[in-house]
Amino acid sequence: MEPISIAMISDFFHPAVGGVENHIYMLSANLIKRGHKVIVITHSHAPDRVGIRWLLPSLKVYYIPFLPIASSATLPNFLTSLPYLRTIFLREHIHLIHAHASLSSIGHEGILHSHLMGIRTVFTDHSLFGFDDAASILTNKLMVGTLKNVDAVICVSHTGRENTVLRGQLFERSEERPDELELRKSVYVIPNSLVAEQFKPCVQPVTDTITIVFLSRLVYRKGIDLLVATAPKICALFPNVNFVVGGDGPKLIELLQMREKYLLQDRIEILGPIRHKDVLSVLSRGSIYMNTSLTESFGIAILEAACAGLYVVSTRVGGVPEILPEDMISFAKPEEGDVVRAISEAIHIVQNGKHDPIHAHERVKNFYNWEDVASRTEKVYDAVLKTPQMELMERIRRTMDLGPFAGPIYTIILLVDCVFFLFLEWWMPRESLHDVHHHWDPEVFKELMEEEERRKTTVH
Amino acid sequence: MIQQDMHEPDDWEKVLWKHHAYPDNYVPRRSFLASLQRNPNFRPYTYWPLVILSCSITQHLAVIFIFLPVFVRLKEHTLDPRSLVCISVLCFFLGYVFWNVFKIPEEATDRHVNHLKILKPSIMMFLALMSLSPVLRTLTAATSSDSIWALSAVLFILNALLADYTVTEVQGAHEGLSSVLSMNAAVSASVVLASRLTTDVSVFALMLFSIQSFALFPMLRRRLQSSSIALWLSVTIGLSILAVWLVSDLSRMVMWLYVAALLFITLIAPAVLIWAQRYKNIIRGPWDVAVPKVN
Repeated sequence: MEPISIAMISDFFHPAVGGVENHIYMLSANLIKRGHKVIVITHSHAPDRVGIRWLLPSLKVYYIPFLPIASSATLPNFLTSLPYLRTIFLREHIHLIHAHASLSSIGHEGILHSHLMGIRTVFTDHSLFGFDDAASILTNKLMVGTLKNVDAVICVSHTGRENTVLRGQLFERSEERPDELELRKSVYVIPNSLVAEQFKPCVQPVTDTITIVFLSRLVYRKGIDLLVATAPKICALFPNVNFVVGGDGPKLIELLQMREKYLLQDRIEILGPIRHKDVLSVLSRGSIYMNTSLTESFGIAILEAACAGLYVVSTRVGGVPEILPEDMISFAKPEEGDVVRAISEAIHIVQNGKHDPIHAHERVKNFYNWEDVASRTEKVYDAVLKTPQMELMERIRRTMDLGPFAGPIYTIILLVDCVFFLFLEWWMPRESLHDVHHHWDPEVFKELMEEEERRKTTVH
Repeated sequence: MIQQDMHEPDDWEKVLWKHHAYPDNYVPRRSFLASLQRNPNFRPYTYWPLVILSCSITQHLAVIFIFLPVFVRLKEHTLDPRSLVCISVLCFFLGYVFWNVFKIPEEATDRHVNHLKILKPSIMMFLALMSLSPVLRTLTAATSSDSIWALSAVLFILNALLADYTVTEVQGAHEGLSSVLSMNAAVSASVVLASRLTTDVSVFALMLFSIQSFALFPMLRRRLQSSSIALWLSVTIGLSILAVWLVSDLSRMVMWLYVAALLFITLIAPAVLIWAQRYKNIIRGPWDVAVPKVN
């Protein structure tokens, strides 16, 4: 397709670390490789990360001065981001915005504003939500309002798509049978991915000891209760099995207490917080990876472990059953007894040499790569740009469909946003904005690098 | 909701690792949302069991509306406080007999040991209340009566809202926080009301009555509920009639309001709940946070 300018918008981006942050970065880098121009818009980080920064390879990041309220998400304020976003979009000649994560309010605001400038919208949902707790009800309601007017939605797994479709009410009246509702055509599934080269298995010397690696945040949702319950039993059943546990969180205390209670200090090693670049070195210490998450949309950590040649044992939750073929992973129900059974099964497989790490790595390398993800995402962009833009009246009609209470509220927000936009057009006319002409020049970067190298060599 | 098209190609699988020829927005008709469950464990309510359950609310309100006229009569000296003390003591023994009759069978073995053990704290309570009543009488002497009426009204509403109306008796476990709060609210309301009375003996009588109605009766009520339906209904009707009769002497309007409230809670509210159940819509699926089962 023709090269276009894309703006990724999310509250979650570098310097914060996590699955969404990494996804945005890798997707942007691969879209740049395919000739597109990509910028990222996110909120500022204390103390001084505000303004414009460049990341390699030529990814421009705008840090807008908004304060995050909780876990790096900003307050949903609908209108206040318009002046910033309008200026950025117009200066950068953006054709399409791609918002990420359903808890990122700046992404929702981007979707709300961009139609005013004729910019198309894509939204990627990264997580699963329930329907019956207060937080889910509120965020789902916010999301429904945004997704009514988005041009395309991407989900990271089939289970994720089913969840997003229900949460965002992505149904519309069928064309042939107007009384029936059918799923929108513009809901895609494009999986996450990983850089397989970063997770090469290390060939270990053959020993009798089997090490089980557990690597995750130590919180309730990751099923630490199951780990705490099963680890002593596994240690008792298999005298040659050790554990390595990495990660930090409120459940660390329970883990330490369990280790103390069963006197397993020499069997269970607790490493504490692990930086992302050290993940491979922790993974390569073991031969079985254990995951006890209670909910998981995609499970990138499982994929990384499988890629590093570990045999995986996981609870059968969310999108996990979709990501690996059955012969690379053992599933357990989220019950103490069944997890012990699955781990025993895995220990037998590994002990009898039925799992070849190098072969597993090659397979995962074939399954997932970022080039593939980028080209599939590009197809979504292409499809979106080929469809006509929605009219304002159509937007109002769709927004009013939200319901007797939410409908009028969102419509008022939509209309006030239009009026605010007209005011900005008058106050800061487009002609007075300075277009961005200076782009990243790989030649200049190369020259600078060479100069730096020369300087280093002369110093020595 | 979604149109069902029954021909689905066999080579499509719900996996992400396979590269297949279908576009990314392909929706498999058969397997899409197949694991969605609507209203799992749905149990439709029926009318009469709900009415029987709502009787515990009716009884609680009846007790409050028996307590209030008793207070008014004490205040206006139309009820002799000594006869109220006698009634309270009688109620206590009657309640104690019922309490023992409906005891859970496995506890019955060491019954005779418990009788004395129960009698001692009861007498202690009796004496403590008696010695405290002069203090309670003058407790809020500096506060205006209007504030007292407002305060006690708020406390009684709190009591009715927070009371524990559940059927099952929790064995050995602590009582819920809300039921403790509820009892405290009612006893505080009685304390502030008692401080409006003129004589020590009437303060004592009212406090004794309040302990009976708000601390001991809820315990008995739960036990009654698990015994026989006939007794349960007759207790409900008896208490309601007593409350209506006591209130009717004071104010006709309050009586009619109270009767309306009773009828609404006992007969109409269950019907509303059954009607509202058709709007119940619980969605369950593989995306829900699993509940770990740990022994």
